[in-house]
Amino acid sequence: MTPTNYTRRRFIRDLGIGSAALPFLSGLPSLQGKLQTGADAPKRLVIIFSPNGTLPGEFWPDQFGADVPLELKPILEPLAEFKDRMLLLKGVDNKMGGDGDRHMRGMSCLLTATLLNPGNIQGGSDTPAGWASGLSIDQQVRNYLQSQEKTKTRFGSLEFGVAVPNRADPWTRMSYAGDNKPLAPIDDPAQMFEKLYGGAKGRADIASVLDYVRDDLRRVSGKLSSDDRSMLEEHVQLVRQLEDDIAAAEQQSELDHQEPEIDPNIELINDNTPEISRMQIDLLVNALANDMTRVATLQYMRSVGQARMRWLHIEEGHHSLSHEEDDNEDAYEKLIRVNVWFANELRYLVQKLDQMPEPGRGGETMLDNTQIVWVNELGKGNTHTLNNIPFALIGGGCGFKTGRALEFESVPHNRLWLALAQGMGQHDLKSFGSEEFSVDGPLNLS
Amino acid sequence: MARMAKLKDSSGNRILRPRRVVLAVFAFVSFIGVSFWGCNVIETGPFAMKTANSVGGSSHRGFSIFQQHCASCHGEDGQGVDEEYDEPLLGKRSINSLARYIDRDMPEDEPENVVGKDALRVADYIYKEFYSVEARYRKGLMPRVELARFTVPQYRNAVADLLLHFTPEVSQELGKEVPKEKEEEENYEIEDKPVELRPILPGLSAQYYQSKGMNKANEVQVERVDRRIEFDFGTRSPAESITPDQFSIVWQGSLLARQTGFYEFRVSTQNGARLYINSENTGQRKRMRDDSSVAGQAAVIDGWVSSGEMREITARIFLLGGRQFPLRFEFFKYLEETASVKLEWKQPGGAWSVLNHNHVNTSFSPRTFVVDTPFPADDRSFGYERGSSVSPGWHAATTNAAIATSAEIVDRLPLLAELDAEEDNEKEEESAQDGTDKEGFAQEENLKRVESFKSFVLNFASLAFRRPLTEEEKQLLGEEMFANAVNPQGAVRRALILILKSPSFLYADLTPENQAPDQYAIANRLSLAIWDSVPDTILLEAAGKGELLTPVQIETQARRMILDTRARSKMRRFFNHWLELEDRDIAKDKTLFPEFDESVVADLRHSLDLFLEDVIWSEGSDYRQLLLADHLFLDEDLKKLYGTSEIDAKNPASAGNRQSGDNFKPVVYSPDRRSGVLTHPYLLSAFAYHNNTSPIHRGVFMTRNIIGRELKSPPEAVEFKDEEFSPDATMRDKITQLTRDQACMSCHKVINPLGFALENFDAVGRWRTEDNNKAVVTRSRYVTEDGEILEVASARDIAEFAIESESARRTFVIQLFEHLVKQPPHAYGLDTIDELEIGFSQDDFNIQNLMVNIAVLSAGYGPATLQIAQSEK
Repeated sequence: MTPTNYTRRRFIRDLGIGSAALPFLSGLPSLQGKLQTGADAPKRLVIIFSPNGTLPGEFWPDQFGADVPLELKPILEPLAEFKDRMLLLKGVDNKMGGDGDRHMRGMSCLLTATLLNPGNIQGGSDTPAGWASGLSIDQQVRNYLQSQEKTKTRFGSLEFGVAVPNRADPWTRMSYAGDNKPLAPIDDPAQMFEKLYGGAKGRADIASVLDYVRDDLRRVSGKLSSDDRSMLEEHVQLVRQLEDDIAAAEQQSELDHQEPEIDPNIELINDNTPEISRMQIDLLVNALANDMTRVATLQYMRSVGQARMRWLHIEEGHHSLSHEEDDNEDAYEKLIRVNVWFANELRYLVQKLDQMPEPGRGGETMLDNTQIVWVNELGKGNTHTLNNIPFALIGGGCGFKTGRALEFESVPHNRLWLALAQGMGQHDLKSFGSEEFSVDGPLNLS
Repeated sequence: MARMAKLKDSSGNRILRPRRVVLAVFAFVSFIGVSFWGCNVIETGPFAMKTANSVGGSSHRGFSIFQQHCASCHGEDGQGVDEEYDEPLLGKRSINSLARYIDRDMPEDEPENVVGKDALRVADYIYKEFYSVEARYRKGLMPRVELARFTVPQYRNAVADLLLHFTPEVSQELGKEVPKEKEEEENYEIEDKPVELRPILPGLSAQYYQSKGMNKANEVQVERVDRRIEFDFGTRSPAESITPDQFSIVWQGSLLARQTGFYEFRVSTQNGARLYINSENTGQRKRMRDDSSVAGQAAVIDGWVSSGEMREITARIFLLGGRQFPLRFEFFKYLEETASVKLEWKQPGGAWSVLNHNHVNTSFSPRTFVVDTPFPADDRSFGYERGSSVSPGWHAATTNAAIATSAEIVDRLPLLAELDAEEDNEKEEESAQDGTDKEGFAQEENLKRVESFKSFVLNFASLAFRRPLTEEEKQLLGEEMFANAVNPQGAVRRALILILKSPSFLYADLTPENQAPDQYAIANRLSLAIWDSVPDTILLEAAGKGELLTPVQIETQARRMILDTRARSKMRRFFNHWLELEDRDIAKDKTLFPEFDESVVADLRHSLDLFLEDVIWSEGSDYRQLLLADHLFLDEDLKKLYGTSEIDAKNPASAGNRQSGDNFKPVVYSPDRRSGVLTHPYLLSAFAYHNNTSPIHRGVFMTRNIIGRELKSPPEAVEFKDEEFSPDATMRDKITQLTRDQACMSCHKVINPLGFALENFDAVGRWRTEDNNKAVVTRSRYVTEDGEILEVASARDIAEFAIESESARRTFVIQLFEHLVKQPPHAYGLDTIDELEIGFSQDDFNIQNLMVNIAVLSAGYGPATLQIAQSEK
């Protein structure tokens, strides 16, 4: 696909215009030369969240250092193939104190790195709290990218979820557009599909029944008097018109990558979580590939998530398991499997991105230009520690030096987000979230 | 000649609502009022012809007159002539009336050519040849029962009722909660408690809880019924046994939506709150903690998290009129300094007000699915909603609605298809424990599941088509769809879309013209006429057993059906229509009428609803009460506004089944002032300018809708400009001056007296004796269609005349017929309206009986009945 083709389609996508408008846009002169070859590569950000902390012994490598080759422990084993594109950071702490219990702060201060507002939500301990008092890093990057023509996309950012409960509180929200402005993830693939490719959802179903409808109309019409037939004839015309419209729409899809097949009937129940997770990842990758967005978050469950991963033959809730003592071998083993499952979902995402060539840039894959960050609300489940959050970065979007694990000395995670924002292009950002914890500037990850 | 322009006044409102009328635009010419389904009054006056049934024909003495003077403009057969008078010559004037008209005004250029006896002869000829209803019947030009698709209300009601059919009822039993001390007991049976049903009261049932940390509803302290949700607790606690620092309240019940449209809700609080409307009932919520919510249901307003600052959160939801929707509102205070909460709502076209007991009750309701897809408006050109045409917009809407409905059903399939999930899980555990074949078990369960889906689809299709399925349909929907699908849910989804796009669903009645209706068609027609929806199980069973054969049997069903709330909802729409209540802007000048604000308008509308409901659903259901009743339903605020000086302290002569517990009470007025709906302040305000009365609007309304005379649009649009009149003139003076031209007077001599009779009521419907510092004069002479001269001076005079006038009663019957059946009444037989009207009069004008008679008539109608009617002539 030539760059010119790419720009034309991208332009149409950006406007969210359907296929019907295509003929009219072809002649626009301004569409030429929008994206030259050799221009800056697009930068993308994907943040993935899983709850209840990790098992440090099964996550962190034994050795850290800028020049130490990376050795992966069991939880990260599924990502072995991408070892050299990975960067693990230990000693990066969520230092936000103030109102709210550890879980709430773990969740709502994670991407915002700022205090929670005082409020009325009571956690298991500490003082009650409200929403976070500032925007989250994904929205910071989104705003930056949307502020420039070259990097603007139709949606700016997309918030995906898997098995997120139907309520708004500091445990179910990690993305914020600003003070007191939580953003809700969409955890229903059908709903997300509708948002991205609206109208296409019912198309296939409708197309499949229109033949029968026309037959039915003919049969009914035959039994009626000639006076009454005219309305039915018009009805038949309308059915034919709809069939034509659908066929035309399928042919003229302006997307570089076809919308993914998802099952719109899937019940949003616990046992379907693995399937739903893959659908959401497919939708996410497709949205990135079609340049509908350059920032996406994927939230698994919520802080204190009690998922019963029956597909792993685990009957106990995740949160309960995470509170067992380390010497409970059964719980420990299960927690490993739970976290390995999350890692496998991450692997699926990483693999898909790596299988997509970066358009207009020979030799590169989309992974080379995407920064993925796997985050967690806690460092460890049964201590509720907010230190040593298991940050795992994969991909080349920020230009960090990868293939190693670094250990910091209890630095505030504000500095990680600063490094991320600067890596995504916003070089003049001096502070993110709580100012007090941003003073030492971005972490040096290059 | 110009044809019917839609003439508008200065605010863009059409001045007169054109029915099928024809307009002749010449400065000095009056015009013939025409209506296709007209009245058929046989003259008995001095000029009457002997036999109304005798035909015209070329031997008739009027024939040659017509040929010579009329045919050049009207056509040989009265069919009309292009560029002359291009509409057919037909209508509902009597022979005498035609004669007088012709004498005065026809032929157009030289009216003196045909006068006196000639006018009478040609009138008689015209009447018998092609003008009258019988003539048209003879010529085979009468209307027929036409194929119709569902109107929009019918579509929405049908879908809602189809889903409700499969939705389990919600138990009204009290106390299903496990008491705290018994929670640990494994074998504690809830059934140990005696069954108590919750009483259904106006307001919402409220439970006040002491909170404890994360547990918002730790212990219930107070249970009562609250009539409105508007509380300011300040720093205090709501009850003695509750600490002031942390507590929660849960309000539950059902919301009554009177009309279809978008409703808005607004929560104002500095604390936490969540509002659920129309959620599936998933059982009592045992706990209410910060980290929980109603399982699987999204809140319409989620304001749970708060930082102690007062805020308002608004949301919009589309609801279906005439239905009850489950409502649940949770509120909690947790350590904030103060607490307060207010729940307001705004009905479609209404004003914000606190949600109060007039609109909610303490019952529990299941979720009612509402199709909120926007539809294009139905055709209204005949004066009533008809599904007489299809359009791309309509087709797109039914497609989108089918997709949305099937998505809703598939989402709730386990519930709707009655899959017993618990039973399945137990069995699965059992089999796992005793080591039986898990794979095999799973397969068996899967087969059972697919079977339930198939049977659900067939059941749904049969209800949607309102008849048993054919073998082909069963094969297609029950087998083929499932064989070709990726998974069973996908099969259900497609089958549902096919069903909802099928003409067997979308068209009201597919009985061919030359066939008598079968049992299912009769059931179908009955439920459309009375409910605008699909038949219920009882009606379908009766059809299945062949118990809808005799008129008595059909009537029995109809009588059962009018007791259902859907019948009330349909009648409410009838009144919206008959009284022209829709889309009205009643806002008034704030300096002249400062107390007349949005909430007064909303209350007046409620007052009108109560009045109409009271008349129809009372035992007498007496139409005369609509026009003659001596009372209004007012609350204290409205009483203040509508003048204690007028009010008599008596008990109303009739005020039927009003439920108490409502703050709207019947208030009696002196009979020489107010009379029924004609002087209800809502109507008086609706038919008025924003700063003054409008005798013309009121007069036109009464002429057309109450008295039942045809009016055509005015020959030219004339704007009412107050400045053009003398500053000390009364409204009556101004209107008299404005309409004094002969061209105007042909209609205004009818309109004005009626409007003037109401001049004692100002622009907001309050009694007044002066207008512009001069005495109000209401007395006028009014000439009826039959040439009778009456003195009218009050609403009661008009009401009494309307009651006595057969023409007025016929108009009511016709309008009700059209609304219920959505077909032209004369398609059901030449004498249909006559017979219904006679029955109505002899029956003390019982509206419910009239409804039943109309419904039964339309249900059983077929070629046989038509033949009988004609042969009896």
